[in-house]
Amino acid sequence: MDEQTTLLEQIMAYDFALYDLQLFLNTHPSDTNALRDYKMALEQSENLRRQYQSKYGPLTARYLPNTTCWQWINDPWPWNNKEV
Amino acid sequence: MWFYDKKTQYPIKIKKPDPRMAIAILTQYGGPNGELAASLRYLSQRFSMPTKEAKATLNDIGTEELAHLEMIGTMVHQLMDKVPPKELEKLHVDTNYVIHGRAVYPSDSNGVPFTAAYIESMEDPIANLNEDLAAEEKARATYDYLISIADDPDVIDPLRFLREREVVHYQRFGETLRIVRETMGKKKYY
Repeated sequence: MDEQTTLLEQIMAYDFALYDLQLFLNTHPSDTNALRDYKMALEQSENLRRQYQSKYGPLTARYLPNTTCWQWINDPWPWNNKEV
Repeated sequence: MWFYDKKTQYPIKIKKPDPRMAIAILTQYGGPNGELAASLRYLSQRFSMPTKEAKATLNDIGTEELAHLEMIGTMVHQLMDKVPPKELEKLHVDTNYVIHGRAVYPSDSNGVPFTAAYIESMEDPIANLNEDLAAEEKARATYDYLISIADDPDVIDPLRFLREREVVHYQRFGETLRIVRETMGKKKYY
């Protein structure tokens, strides 16, 4: 697996943990352990996201790199299989 | 509103095309127990949810189902991509091919188009949440069937992830139903 895919899959793992915790917190809003885990995963995800976007371009259209060309449209899109 | 994140919720990298498996999985795109039905069901029902926990749960599970719809679409696309028409004919998936080509269209595995008749949305939150619990179990059972006919680990792995999410959603809906019942009980609805 290349470095870009490895980094993206790390972000995906943290973002999945965040979403699962979000659903849990919706029905357990006073659970301090879950809240602490959410905060930890959020910091990790944001940190990795910054690294990824500065190296490989936008994950969201709101990330605007310092270039003259709109990079949001660049491949790969998530449904494209790079390894085939 | 929503913003798009340029990634799937779980990695999908299918190396070996399998058009028959693509058509089997298609039912989770536009079939009765599929992800489109799930998403529309919860995102429509959320408007009449009475408690803050229930509003958040329906909103956020409805949103996650859209990410699952994208995963299923990605699987169907990768399993069908670039397979020659003659090969599709040999595998008996040519009836789907002559209607849609190799596109992803919201139907079940028999080609029956998606319909909103698969879902209900009522003002009564107890009725809605009981439907949602059943819907999660029906989707879980569908993933069990799909896993039982799949043999490629690249296909089984994301299907297992999706199956597990149905189990988690069932759990969250159960907690939501309990919270809604308690709240409505206090208001002496019944």
